[in-house]
Amino acid sequence: MLDLKLLLLVTLFVPLVGVGVIWVVAPLGDRAVRWIALLVASVSLICSTAIVFSSAAATQAELAVTDVAWLANSSVTPLDVRFHVGLDGLSLWMFGLSPLLTLTAILVSWEAIRDRVALFYGMLLLLEFGCVGVFVARDIVLFYVFFEFTLIPLFFLVGVWGSEQRQYAAVKFFLFTLAGSVLTLLGLLAIVVWNANQWNGGTWTFSIPDLSTNLRLAASEGNLPVKFQLMVFLALFAGFAIKVPLFPLHTWLPLAHVQAPAAGSVMLAGVLLKIGTYGFVRFGILMLPDAILHPGIQVVPNVVASVFPWVSTGTVFVYPWLLSLAVIGIVYGALVALAQDDFKRLIAYSSVSHMGFCVLGLFALNRPGLQGGTLQMVNHGISTGALFALVGMIYERYHTREISALSGLAKRLPILSFFMLLFTFSSIGLPGLNGFAGEVLVLLGMFQRAWSQSIAGWQPLLIAVAVLAVSGVVLGAWYMLYLVQRVFFGPLKEPAQHAAHAPACDLSPREILAVAPLAILVVWIGVAPGFFLSRTAQTLNDVEAVAENAFTRHHEDYQRLWSAVPKVTAPAVELSRRVP
Amino acid sequence: MEWLVVLIPTLPLVAAIVTASLGPRVLRSQSHLPVVIALALSLLCSLVLVVQVQRGYTENSDTGFEVPIQLWSWAVIEDAHVPEISGLTAAGKSLDEPITRPFRVDITLRADALTATMLAMVTFISTLVALFSVGYMHDDRGYWRFFTYLGLFVFSMTMLVSVSNFLLLFVFWEGVGVCSYLLIGFWYTRPSAAAAGKKAFLVNRVGDFGLIIAVFLIWTTYGTVNYHDVLHTPAGKVVVDSKTVQEAVSEKAAGMDPGSTLIRGVLGQSRIKTNDFVIGPDGELVVLAICLLFLLGACGKSAQFPLHIWLPDAMEGPTPVSALIHAATMVTAGVYLVVRCTPLFAACPTAQLIVACVGGFTALLAAVIALTQFDLKRVLAYSTISQLGYMFLALGTGTMAGITAGFFHLFTHAFFKALLFLGAGSVMHAMGDVIDMRKFGGLRHILPKTHLTFLCGCLALAGIPLFSGFWSKDQIVKAVKEKADQLEVSAVTLADLDTVASAPPEKQVFTIPPPWSASIYRWLHWSAMFTALLTAFYTFRAYYLTFWGRQYVPEEADHPHEPASMWRPLAVLSVCALAIGGVLEIYHQPAGYLQQTPSLSGESFIPKLDGEVALISSVIALAGVGIASVLYLGDRPFVGWLQAFFEFRWLSRVTRRAVYCSPYRLSSEKFYLDELYGCVVIWPLRTLANISGIVDRWLIDGLVNLIGWLPRFAGWMVRSLHKGLLQFYALGMVLGLLLLVLWMWWIR
Repeated sequence: MLDLKLLLLVTLFVPLVGVGVIWVVAPLGDRAVRWIALLVASVSLICSTAIVFSSAAATQAELAVTDVAWLANSSVTPLDVRFHVGLDGLSLWMFGLSPLLTLTAILVSWEAIRDRVALFYGMLLLLEFGCVGVFVARDIVLFYVFFEFTLIPLFFLVGVWGSEQRQYAAVKFFLFTLAGSVLTLLGLLAIVVWNANQWNGGTWTFSIPDLSTNLRLAASEGNLPVKFQLMVFLALFAGFAIKVPLFPLHTWLPLAHVQAPAAGSVMLAGVLLKIGTYGFVRFGILMLPDAILHPGIQVVPNVVASVFPWVSTGTVFVYPWLLSLAVIGIVYGALVALAQDDFKRLIAYSSVSHMGFCVLGLFALNRPGLQGGTLQMVNHGISTGALFALVGMIYERYHTREISALSGLAKRLPILSFFMLLFTFSSIGLPGLNGFAGEVLVLLGMFQRAWSQSIAGWQPLLIAVAVLAVSGVVLGAWYMLYLVQRVFFGPLKEPAQHAAHAPACDLSPREILAVAPLAILVVWIGVAPGFFLSRTAQTLNDVEAVAENAFTRHHEDYQRLWSAVPKVTAPAVELSRRVP
Repeated sequence: MEWLVVLIPTLPLVAAIVTASLGPRVLRSQSHLPVVIALALSLLCSLVLVVQVQRGYTENSDTGFEVPIQLWSWAVIEDAHVPEISGLTAAGKSLDEPITRPFRVDITLRADALTATMLAMVTFISTLVALFSVGYMHDDRGYWRFFTYLGLFVFSMTMLVSVSNFLLLFVFWEGVGVCSYLLIGFWYTRPSAAAAGKKAFLVNRVGDFGLIIAVFLIWTTYGTVNYHDVLHTPAGKVVVDSKTVQEAVSEKAAGMDPGSTLIRGVLGQSRIKTNDFVIGPDGELVVLAICLLFLLGACGKSAQFPLHIWLPDAMEGPTPVSALIHAATMVTAGVYLVVRCTPLFAACPTAQLIVACVGGFTALLAAVIALTQFDLKRVLAYSTISQLGYMFLALGTGTMAGITAGFFHLFTHAFFKALLFLGAGSVMHAMGDVIDMRKFGGLRHILPKTHLTFLCGCLALAGIPLFSGFWSKDQIVKAVKEKADQLEVSAVTLADLDTVASAPPEKQVFTIPPPWSASIYRWLHWSAMFTALLTAFYTFRAYYLTFWGRQYVPEEADHPHEPASMWRPLAVLSVCALAIGGVLEIYHQPAGYLQQTPSLSGESFIPKLDGEVALISSVIALAGVGIASVLYLGDRPFVGWLQAFFEFRWLSRVTRRAVYCSPYRLSSEKFYLDELYGCVVIWPLRTLANISGIVDRWLIDGLVNLIGWLPRFAGWMVRSLHKGLLQFYALGMVLGLLLLVLWMWWIR
């Protein structure tokens, strides 16, 4: 047990130590910096791998928990902020993925970054520190600190080493996400304060497990006011939905991706987006189950309603809206991706589409959906992370992101094309690769929610959502294969200014090393997802129990609400013809 | 026995991996060796399996015979699903089924008669095609790549027919699609090949969209995606062995409950015995939906209208691929699916009728298009679509005779169509990759072996009596005729009409009364016979255009030749094309063997040759060949005249403009379906995508920027007030005072 604790702490803090070392050795030159960054990332990867594949991870719901007092002094203040870290099924695989993608990011930038190298790798390691921290934090303050902390290194990565519009993109990304996360902070604090007043006799506990136990109990007994839950949920939504990003709040993402250096894109798509979905489950579902599932509350006070009668019916149903936003994101993201002529924009919009699948699965709120959604978070991290890495390699060779400037690269760069095709197939959910395992469970969960576990009155909407989500898979194949066809197949075409240089070489061993582990994972998860699912099952079954409990509590409300709606019956059709 | 069915797909997979890893550096021009050896071994295993299934059946002939073999679990989610209460009470009345269902996808293979037949056919043809490719592809740069893909394809295809689970079926359904995508785009530097590959994949994806939704619906309806019954023992063990499960079921029925729970597979023996497919209040509607979605999937993979458009373009791939994937094996996956799901379709006559209509219509449509094509491979491609349509037509009858006939046709068609495609490949090889029939002619002296073998294929395809195609096509026509007769009789004598009329109105929509069906089947019967005439005609048109007439070759053909590695597989296939139908027919093999499949063992049935139908078919086939001979054999004096007539030149001479919808133009332009889809599907979606792109950039991002701009605007507004000018402040103060005084005066 001690071992796992130690390993987790090493995984978390080694990058921070690495930053210090880099600062010291920076005068020795870029080479030393690179190797130290690589070493540090490898150490943290080895430790995290040891944890996620340990036998304890298969049996225990929570593991590697460290809990020491941090900002707590109960004699002076009622605050009880603790340094509380650990893993459970929800965070396990994302925790494992973050160091792996950092390694990829470091290898991708090996030759691409030649300017202020020490600072770059320092930032990259800080980013890893933040990403790992978000997923291991079990204390709200700690979580929020890491949550915000991830913004800073990425801000610099985009702003300093990005492309032409890097500063605009960095500022927009920073302000956009910050605006949301400020509200998230309010929501989180509201939870803490409510809990302190209600349960702990004035002690402010920030422990996530304690809070979720308390709140779900209160919710199941009906003691947690629905309006409170709803308002807190909307506050959380502001931060997490921007992070995911859900449909209308996504415009920072393509810009940031396009302008970011390859390493930044890898980390952004691979890890940072998942913080949003992770937060939705960790706080949204587990702490505020009624906010999503309550059939509706009146949002305007009676005084207003008496003056403006038409708003008196204004009720809020979070659940259908959430699912609709997710599915709009899926279809809309795919359509916009189809219209792009920029590699990175295209893949960025495909992220919008794929993250919609994650949200859809998680909010199907049954076991297949939750498991699929969680797996899909990892899958998207792997395949999109790898796609951005490969696009970075292409950019390094041709200095263009324009799809129409390139053609027939399969002839020039066969190994790169092989990997590109593999990750494209993974991204479009080809069976036997990882994307399929996640998507099929997500969609299965959604169909289950729409058909056999449906909610009175919402069934048509849920069915529409489920079917539209499946159509997103077809569109996904379209834009990705269109990309592959244009860039990798057909007669060879390279940018004109490039013709003067020596012909582009295929992947070097370093570059193969950057994407090969991801390729292995793609196949492994695709062939035996059972292994990966089994380690998340315990925690996610718990989440499902919370949601199911809320559904049961509101079952009668749904029935009552929709019993008044007249049923539509099919018109009688005269078909039979009597034979004399 | 168990290991055979595992070995058959594993061997090609291993060979593919070996070829991929050793091909480029070590094996080089010998890259075909691993795959050819593995395929030959697989073929051997398949043949042994066929015999063993027969033997196993004779031992327990009461239930039909199946052997599921469980390898490992792909994914397990415990207690994933709670079936609807109504469904549970309806389904669980006889056997106490579990309240919650695990979502359990096991890698389970199974051997039964249907699977064994498919395996034998697939491995036989793929072995011959691999041998043929050794000659055909010998100096291609991607030699090893070709054989790797080929091995992967055979792996996927054999898995597709041997899995025992709808989700895995989908996995390999897409798996063969990807192999097809890779092989169509094999010469990826050609833009047309890359585009054709993408088109095939996407059109198939539309079909897969239906298939996966059907799988989800099966899961929500039946709580399992397995074909077979699964027994969960109290100790947590999972038993799939059909014998043990059957014993447990009978023990349970006798009251000796061993405490284990049974999850009845969708096509499991216990469900088939109780014919329990309609579950829940809207059960019929759900089954109809599942069947139609399956049909959509099958239309994609088997190139049926409206999703047939990818197959002709797929001819961009190397010709052996066209023979193997796009004629003999992969495109029959849809037929296999429908045969496999016979019990489901049997529960829904409306779905059967729609299957028949789709099949009959596609057969006619494709045959009409094939009449005017000049690309030899495209003629064959459209003929494949048309023949697949025949198969669906047969399956659509829903009778045992029809299903057997459809499957029989699948079997015979695989041989003669593979033969024809390989023959076309041989022509192409000799003509320097030219395949336009206008650019060569009279090849029978240059390519004598190809000519003879191609003729065998043509005879079989045209349905000339005593050749393979004749027997199976004849059975299809007969099955459709019998179905129509049967429905006409039942419509008058049975009280079906009253039950239909008294059904609640929402159900009537989904039940088509027998008199209507009877007349539809009658029409389909006529259309099938007309299609047979067209088939004979276009087959021999292509044959005469290629091998008869004045002898000339294109410039690209520098040394026309037929290597032995190429004509030997052709010879083997032509023996099959000539004889296999007749041999099987004489021993009543197709029907008898197929009935050993548990899901097809409903009614026992022995097909008989119907003299009248056989006579009419023979006359039609000979007539088609006769017309083709008159038109194309000699100096072809009437062809130009006939073409001008059907092009409506007489009309365009009057109206002084080209007639685009003349019969000839419609046929040669494939009824403008590609253009239609371009206008109706592709263009709107593209436009929508572009509009979304603009909306995203300007509207949504614009709103975000507007919000970001608001504070700046407010700041700009207020900034002008703070200029640091003393006079300005003084003025403000005076004005303010003035206003204050005015206000005070006003309220006084």
